[in-house]
Amino acid sequence: MTGESPDRPAGMIAAAQPPALEEVHELLASVWETHPDVTPEDRILFEIAVVEIAGNIATHSSDGRPVTFSLYIEVTPDLIEARFRDDGRKVEVPEATGPVDEMAESGRGLAMTADAVDIVEYHRADDYNHWRIAKNRT
Amino acid sequence: MIDVEVAEQDGASVLRPSGRLTLISAPKFRDVLREAVDTGRRRTVVDLRDITFMDSAGLGALVAGLKMARQAGGDLRIAAATAQVTTVLKLTNLDRVLRPYASVGDALHDW
Repeated sequence: MTGESPDRPAGMIAAAQPPALEEVHELLASVWETHPDVTPEDRILFEIAVVEIAGNIATHSSDGRPVTFSLYIEVTPDLIEARFRDDGRKVEVPEATGPVDEMAESGRGLAMTADAVDIVEYHRADDYNHWRIAKNRT
Repeated sequence: MIDVEVAEQDGASVLRPSGRLTLISAPKFRDVLREAVDTGRRRTVVDLRDITFMDSAGLGALVAGLKMARQAGGDLRIAAATAQVTTVLKLTNLDRVLRPYASVGDALHDW
């Protein structure tokens, strides 16, 4: 389920499974269509971060039972912002993402997210995980 | 799922995946890389021109391919990376390990 209007955030709700990533890409495409003034560089960096967090939720949030997540994206004149919420298990976010061995095959997602955008926030409240990603527009 | 064209050029395996290289498609792409290395050709080029989006799992598959190729006594190069793929390589500093060549021809030149 995707939807977008210039006046309110675009959003989706989906099962936290890898196929939901396709819907995330579709949602982002609809956001860029509505906001053609967002620069290609900002789109690329924001999309990298959003897809990493979505992928993290889709692969790590379930402890065996079905998990649902929501994603809302808002574009303002200064900022592009994504808010995720899921009812999966609590996420252990490393305090600092240390250097990854250059030949490692995984473990780069969160560090890359942090480098791609200006704000990456996580908190747990009311048995929900909340992620907020924001990028200042250039 | 991801489509991968596999060809032989100047004695090297040239793989051309298309679409999104993400955690959905990365396992299959790894399998294709494994098959390419197992052919016995020492050189593998991944032509990335048709990759519209790559995430950290996709990048992990390329690193896995590089390791497989080197363990088999060969090497792997990437070519024609899009702006999105180049951004991922720079953010992770992997552009030093997987240096993008402008084209498949450039990747094969002087190898």
